[in-house]
Amino acid sequence: MDYYLSVATFAALHIILAVGLNLVMGFCGQVSLGHAAFYGVGAYASAMLSVAGWPFPVAMLGGMLAAGLLGVITGLAALRFREDFLAIATMAIGFIFVGTARKLAWLGGEMGISKIPSPLSKHEYAWLAMAAAVLLIIFSLHVRRSWMGRAFSGVAQDEVQAQTIGIDIAGYKIAAFFLATASAGFAGGLYAHMTQLIVPDAFGFVVSISILAMVVIGGVGSTLGVATGAVVLTLLPEVFRIINDYKLLVYGGMLLGVMMFSPQGLAGLLSQCVQAMRRRKEAA
Amino acid sequence: MLQVVDLAISFGGVAAVKGVSLSVGAGEFVGLIGPNGAGKTTLLRLMTGVLRPDRGQVQFADQDITAMTVDERARRGFVMTHQIVRPFRQMTLLENATLAAGHALTRQPWLALWRTDARAAQARAQHELERVGIADAAHKLASQVPLGYLKRLQVAMALALDPRFVMLDEPLAGLNYHEAERFSNLLIELHQQGLGLLLVEHNLGEVLRVAQRLVVIDSGAVLADGVPQEVMAQPEVRRAYLGEAHA
Amino acid sequence: MYYLDLLMIGLVWGCTYAMMALGLTLVYGLLRILHVAQATVFTLGAYAGLLVANATGSLALAFVAAIVSSCVVGVLIYRWVYEPVLDKPPFVPLVASIGLLIAMEDGFRLIFGPYGLSFTSNPWFATMVGFGGIQINLVQAVLVITAVVSIGVLGWVASSTRLGVGLRATVTDPAMAESFGVNRVQVRTATFLVASALAGVSGLLVGMLNNLVEPGMGGLIAYKGLAIIVLGGLGSVSGTLLASVLFGLIESFGTVMLDQVMDRDAVAFLFMLLMLLIRPQGLLGKGR
Repeated sequence: MDYYLSVATFAALHIILAVGLNLVMGFCGQVSLGHAAFYGVGAYASAMLSVAGWPFPVAMLGGMLAAGLLGVITGLAALRFREDFLAIATMAIGFIFVGTARKLAWLGGEMGISKIPSPLSKHEYAWLAMAAAVLLIIFSLHVRRSWMGRAFSGVAQDEVQAQTIGIDIAGYKIAAFFLATASAGFAGGLYAHMTQLIVPDAFGFVVSISILAMVVIGGVGSTLGVATGAVVLTLLPEVFRIINDYKLLVYGGMLLGVMMFSPQGLAGLLSQCVQAMRRRKEAA
Repeated sequence: MLQVVDLAISFGGVAAVKGVSLSVGAGEFVGLIGPNGAGKTTLLRLMTGVLRPDRGQVQFADQDITAMTVDERARRGFVMTHQIVRPFRQMTLLENATLAAGHALTRQPWLALWRTDARAAQARAQHELERVGIADAAHKLASQVPLGYLKRLQVAMALALDPRFVMLDEPLAGLNYHEAERFSNLLIELHQQGLGLLLVEHNLGEVLRVAQRLVVIDSGAVLADGVPQEVMAQPEVRRAYLGEAHA
Repeated sequence: MYYLDLLMIGLVWGCTYAMMALGLTLVYGLLRILHVAQATVFTLGAYAGLLVANATGSLALAFVAAIVSSCVVGVLIYRWVYEPVLDKPPFVPLVASIGLLIAMEDGFRLIFGPYGLSFTSNPWFATMVGFGGIQINLVQAVLVITAVVSIGVLGWVASSTRLGVGLRATVTDPAMAESFGVNRVQVRTATFLVASALAGVSGLLVGMLNNLVEPGMGGLIAYKGLAIIVLGGLGSVSGTLLASVLFGLIESFGTVMLDQVMDRDAVAFLFMLLMLLIRPQGLLGKGR
């Protein structure tokens, strides 16, 4: 039972991370290859607050705000950089975070932060994570339908044209990054308190790529697709135990395969099927 | 309404615009012309905020907008259309126009988050598409309509922004004779309805026909400024366009 | 003398980066693709070279093996992975490249083991070369020389040969170049051949320098290579060279000075980020 609970909790955390990344990449068109850094900032900030004696809600909020702050700074950088530059810049932020966490003594160095107080039971973490995941999915669907979502899609398709019709691209990009990173920070806080030990390597480039994989395989831009991708990629190594040894090979292969054959991911495949069925119905 | 004071910019040592000053009153229809490479487009980009000047000021409705971004200017009613059309290609004409029509709702990102009702904006968008005469293609994707339609879509979107002033960068480029005539007739109509316009254009015939006033730019400086017939009769202008023999 | 040592190390690393980054900048200039999977070719060259060196004892053969294997795989990557997705949005080739890199790194780990392989005999590593009071080993010297020679040769090819001119034309205006008879596929293949050869050779040299070839050796160098070409100004060869040398130097000195604050990779990336914030188009990049 404990095991299933743990898997479910991680699936929920990954949903939060992937749906958040989708907000910034899928909706607003800003490439981010360093999402794990925000996960990490949330984890570290909330862990340090908890270890210092602050109550759980405060620590969680602190984690979200710290991650959100770094997100706003990243958003400001996004204003200066074009697409390819932004990809590398976000990747750089990821490496800087890990590199700094590894060395700075007050961040725990290579050993990280341990003995993080854990105020909730395994069940409670699971429920909290799942509730948060569901809330974020609903929120993301709402954003898509709102005028913020419309403006995002303008920014994603053509920034210059968006500016011409009065859209404050700076404000929207920063908003996108804040929403994505604050939610990643929340996930980080949960992760830290649940596992009670965090180390820098848990938030490295490979983790950023894993989250990217969930978004891309699920279908960039589709909230439900991305959430599905997160669940699938969390369950995959658990369901096929042998895969664990070949995890990266499978991940990489899936990324490559999806890009080559269905760049819109699972969501794209689904919508193509639906369209094909519709066409057949009309022809009949 | 629009005041440009001593605007200048250089690229790598070459002065593209050298201290240009001009003004356009509310509701005026001014044409900005000049030979190739005269600096018209650069001047326009300076006025709309795409480029920052090395010196000089741009004032709009008595406000100094020199440091404002393109979108800040658009939100103040100072709108432009591009020489190379760039609609949102994956959206329909109606969706394009709706996004512009929703400008009041998208002003503030965090408020836009809570607003989902697009009906008013869609109605306004439809109205503007009809006004410029492309409503028949409202549900076609922008990537699938001809250039003439896209040019008029730009105007529709500019109108949907409730502008006080519109600057058009060579809107007639790429249009055939009939399309160009139809487009400039649209501009005349809009002007008659009270809109202020600055038209940068290469198509001399149409500009002479529609503009109230003409400003001639050559080599980055103002060569002449006045009523079209008078301006075209000036020897410097004729020399700039047609060469020494015709001065 | 200590600072001279750091300088030497920085320059050697700068040259290593330069060889990777040159290939990356050529591919980007031509196809607008961030060829992350270049790391695969780098590591492959190292493994191929090591295996041949250990089996035959001949360094010359090892280099041939490195070049041939990396060229073949590099061109295959272009044909099978990049060519089919050239018309898709930019994140597609980038993510495909990342996926390929991750998969191949794991593949190397599964085939050759996670702990890496060593050279049975590594004569260059043991040989010291001295000048101006500093001692460096022969591998480092060869790295620098190879880098300099490659850059010189490439520069000459770009300006004086038909192929080079064709490449520059294709980068500037592909359609126009084709209408002048420049064969697009030839130019692309040539580009990938050159980029891969550079990567393979530098991979083998780095393997010799560390006396170890391991599955993940290419990854970080590729990511830094990308940071370098961005810093230099995407598509600018001279910018790339300048940025490579700067990177090597900053890493060498910065690691020592900031040892208590961040590790070597973080220093390098932070430098890139700060430089970009000051000059978003890169050191020698074009455009406002």
